Amino acid sequence: MAQHRISTKRRSLMLGAAAAALVQPLSVLAQGAEEIVIGGSIPMTGVFAFAGVGINAGIQDYVKIVNDAGGIKGRKVRYVPEDTGYKVDVSVAAFKKITSQNKVNVYYGDSTGFAKTINPELERNGNILMAGASFASELNDPKKYPHQFLVGPDYTEMFGILLKHIAKEKPGAKVAFVYSDSEFGRDPIEKSEAAAKALGLSVPVKIMTPAGSVDVSTEVIKLRRAAPDYTIFHGYILAPIPEFITQGKQQGMKSKWMGTFWTMDSSTVMKMGEAGDGFMGVMPYRYYYDTEKAPMLEKIRALRPEYQSTAYMQGFLAAMLFLESAKRCLDGNKPLTGANLKAALNSLKDFDTGGLIGVPITISGNSIPVGRVYRADMKAQKMVAASDWIKL
Amino acid sequence: MRIGTLKESYVADAALFDSRTQHAWLAIAATLLLLFPFVASDYWLYMACLVAINVASATGLNILTGYTGLVSLGQAAFMGLGAYTVAILQTRYGTPFLLNLLAGGVVAMLGGIVVGIPSLRVKGLYLAIATIAASFIAHFLFANFQITGGTAGLSLPPARLLGMDLDTSFRLYWLIVPVAVLMLLGAANLFRTRIGRAFIAIRDRDISAEVLGIPLLRYKLLSFGLSSFYAGLAGGLWAYFFRVVTPESFPLSMSIFFLAAIIVGGMGSILGGILGAVFMTMVPELLKLVVDLLPGGAALAVFLSPVRLVVFGALIIGFLVFEPLGLAEIWRRVRRFFHLWPFRN
Repeated sequence: MAQHRISTKRRSLMLGAAAAALVQPLSVLAQGAEEIVIGGSIPMTGVFAFAGVGINAGIQDYVKIVNDAGGIKGRKVRYVPEDTGYKVDVSVAAFKKITSQNKVNVYYGDSTGFAKTINPELERNGNILMAGASFASELNDPKKYPHQFLVGPDYTEMFGILLKHIAKEKPGAKVAFVYSDSEFGRDPIEKSEAAAKALGLSVPVKIMTPAGSVDVSTEVIKLRRAAPDYTIFHGYILAPIPEFITQGKQQGMKSKWMGTFWTMDSSTVMKMGEAGDGFMGVMPYRYYYDTEKAPMLEKIRALRPEYQSTAYMQGFLAAMLFLESAKRCLDGNKPLTGANLKAALNSLKDFDTGGLIGVPITISGNSIPVGRVYRADMKAQKMVAASDWIKL
Repeated sequence: MRIGTLKESYVADAALFDSRTQHAWLAIAATLLLLFPFVASDYWLYMACLVAINVASATGLNILTGYTGLVSLGQAAFMGLGAYTVAILQTRYGTPFLLNLLAGGVVAMLGGIVVGIPSLRVKGLYLAIATIAASFIAHFLFANFQITGGTAGLSLPPARLLGMDLDTSFRLYWLIVPVAVLMLLGAANLFRTRIGRAFIAIRDRDISAEVLGIPLLRYKLLSFGLSSFYAGLAGGLWAYFFRVVTPESFPLSMSIFFLAAIIVGGMGSILGGILGAVFMTMVPELLKLVVDLLPGGAALAVFLSPVRLVVFGALIIGFLVFEPLGLAEIWRRVRRFFHLWPFRN
């Protein structure tokens, strides 16, 4: 009998939750006409949670700043995030749930897999502009992905920025590529090898490691034999980069070590310890603690006195670009459709991000091909600028 | 003991559904499944399709692990084989989707038979480890063959039926759910046949089964083949559902998901496979709904999301501790209670 009672109770709870979910859309749709809604498949748990939490806070803060200033042309902005655990099927479920309960105008997606999977749905829906955590080169194609954009340079462009810096610093240098055996890792390698050659650089070795590998001693020997002047890591967050650098230095390598966006958060690089001293990499945004003039950074620091990650900056900038596009649409009395929002985004010419990116930006396609090389200063426990802003 | 179910023949005894009450409930369930797409939102339709795919694959694994006693951690790899076969046939040759789905099942079945060969020598955990190899080999093949599109994978156009693109959850529902129901009926009927009984005999004691005249080689490989066929078909449905297939779409963790589903649901029971897959797919989503209903739930999502995972884990452990035979056994107990209600004290 007791079991029956428990079972009935559980069933009525579940029914209640389901009924609430089914009823919710009607009420929200009724009140949502004058709102701008940002939906988000955000990885607050799982392997990408370290970034998702920052992205979530960045979007939340920008929405708060805009709403405190009266919204966009009198319309309030509402942010509706949902945790995805960094799983594509869960991300799609979150998208379906958020879009069926809200009239979503812009959406933040959490992965390359999600961006590719949801693309046909975005095209069919026609009312949503999407950006996300992915910088995959494949997404930088306005024809294939007309309603999406990248909040920075794609991975091939990140390599391009690093290679441009290297070509200027040491013409004819030897550059090694070390990357993971994943879609993320392999993304920029082929095109970047050609780009290096075009800049007069050589690529003596390309080393692919299994995703998640820890023991890299044989790869380090291969790398040492090639004696590169620069080694660029890609497709990792942290491991096995410190192992490569430590063993490389022990074996007398003189290479400079570099990384791309997802390795370059200050807290990630500082975890490398001694091995990370002098580690360089490409960063499309300013760091939280940068001292150059940046009014938006000052606002962020006033909102949050503690360090905020580069993922936070990415989320913050994504929200800024979303809402700037919406504002331009409303200014032009155009409905907020995916195509109009994207056209408005592409109308950004020399747009001032309030110093989040150190130079005015122009978005002519799906990416923002701008970045800067930063270097780790372990004594100061900070990333310091090692180049000027580089535009491709 | 149930009252009012007197059997007068072996056929009646072996019937899949043996009472009028069962027939009535089945009719109600079928009606609900038919009406569901017309009342549910896109989100619930999406979840229904996902659940149906997971039920189909979990049932396949149940045939192998639950009924034949051969532990496998290669289910995701076989789904991948099916999904890639469908994607390649659809993008390269544009063959009809039903043919592609069948081809996906057959390719996965052949893969399953090859992977199943070690089962003749090893059992239990050792076999599980051997089947993990299937995951890694499949991942390597998917990522390095040109025909599979390398690490970027393949994007495929929607399935077409009578000139109509099956490109929404509503339309796909009418493909995925009926196929999953057919697969379930097939599996349920399998265990009324000599083959199914042979699988159960092998699970209970393989040496005795051999003494009884069951050729272990043939039946173990047959079980692997059937299970992989189910996985391949489910993978094909998955490919049409998500329309992007990459090597990272079918990780080892997905195989663990299906193994967990049949353990939680109840191994060696068709209902167990269904309940387990529904539990594993829907409970995380229902927990999200509960979090959303809490005051300030959405704003506190960052803090509550990890808690949600802990609760999900605790629920799994709770079910295993309090009912090791799985959700199917809880279901049976509830049914048994109602069989005698209200005459039992």
